[in-house]
Amino acid sequence: MCVGIAGKVVKVQDGMAVIDAGGAKREVSAALLEELEPGDYVMVHAGAAIAKISSDDDEEVNQVMEDLKA
Amino acid sequence: MIDDAIKIVKEYKGKKLRIMEVCGTHTHEIFKQGVRQLLSEDIDLISGPGCPVCVTQVDYIDEAVMLALEKNVTICSFGDLLKVPGTKYSLSAARGQGAKVQVVYAPLDAVKYAKDHPDEEVVFLSVGFETTVPSSCIALQFAIKEGVKNFSLLTANKTMPVAYRAMKNACDCYLYPGHVHAIIGTGLCEELRDNEGISGVVAGFTPKELVTAIAVAVTKLQEEKPFFVNCYPRVVKPEGSPAAVKLIYEYMEASDEEWRGLGTMPGSGLKLKDKYSEYDARIKFEIPPMHGHGNPACRCASVLKGEIKPYECPCFGKVCTPEHAVGACMVSDEGACSAWYLYGGLDLRKEEK
Ligand code: SF4
Repeated sequence: MCVGIAGKVVKVQDGMAVIDAGGAKREVSAALLEELEPGDYVMVHAGAAIAKISSDDDEEVNQVMEDLKA
Repeated sequence: MIDDAIKIVKEYKGKKLRIMEVCGTHTHEIFKQGVRQLLSEDIDLISGPGCPVCVTQVDYIDEAVMLALEKNVTICSFGDLLKVPGTKYSLSAARGQGAKVQVVYAPLDAVKYAKDHPDEEVVFLSVGFETTVPSSCIALQFAIKEGVKNFSLLTANKTMPVAYRAMKNACDCYLYPGHVHAIIGTGLCEELRDNEGISGVVAGFTPKELVTAIAVAVTKLQEEKPFFVNCYPRVVKPEGSPAAVKLIYEYMEASDEEWRGLGTMPGSGLKLKDKYSEYDARIKFEIPPMHGHGNPACRCASVLKGEIKPYECPCFGKVCTPEHAVGACMVSDEGACSAWYLYGGLDLRKEEK
């Protein structure tokens, strides 16, 4: 139940969003995020998009490791 | 850059570092992705209490079973809870006795089920941390808006802040659960660092993110002063999700919750506010206090506090397996016992000895 699913938003309507997670489409609540738009990547938990995802993990790792050295 | 991180976790030598992966999903991913095999022997990963199914008390399962068998209620639940043993029955065993139990992926599905079945009383088992509670609140909001009266929540929600403080001596540093902090933000981690000397890093869930978070923890621990680093910034923002927090506190308030292993901790959970009591299954169905008990041989309580590794439980892999679980930590897809069992725990057990 706690595993988050990352997906791409394909449609937003009436507080719900359709997301594409590796080809599987799912309708999830968009109530927790303001200004969700098609094309955004989100993390989904228990049927609700809980956060936007702002980059991939490679970029993130580079940033975190650079900060560590600084 | 990931190579730098791998080098750090591989080559560390020195004082044994005890890092607690608070979150059960971290425990499982760390095993599944082979992260453990990368680590120097001087880095000890300890599993913590962050699996909501695992810390849910036997009493709660007994309450749900009672609702299903005696009050003829339809239980809607996340699948993970079904096999958790109650005093007499698990929910899946109760099914064999005629209980109606529906597995749902999202709390909202439970309300939709209730709406489509107006002649049934439907109770959703609201179990989870800050990550999952907003979804229960979305469901409740929908039920109120649509006038769905045959729907209620049986809550056993938990929140992490009290647990972080309670467990601080179990480890040198936390791998904070990424998705809890996606909701509550990182202010708490800074507060814990500044006021209580608790160190930690927020970690994501991909293999690269996990290795990086551990590398950061290992590096910072050597500086020997409390620290906090957000190693999952692509998802976790300092402010978290204010909309989610607002939603939670619109419907819920802090409650004293009992955690398996940790006992009852004041303010460590969330229950429905009085004004929503008609949606509170405990009140609606007048559930009496339960005095359940688990199998006395099960050592989940010690596993959840990081005091023992699952293989130190005498039941592990013998009478207790995922198919025939004795305790919640073996049932849950996020439990430490199931992680050790499923991903070569038995072999590792030989290795560790
Ligand atoms: S191995 Fe089974 S019985 Fe032992 S602590 Fe884990 S869940 Fe409990």
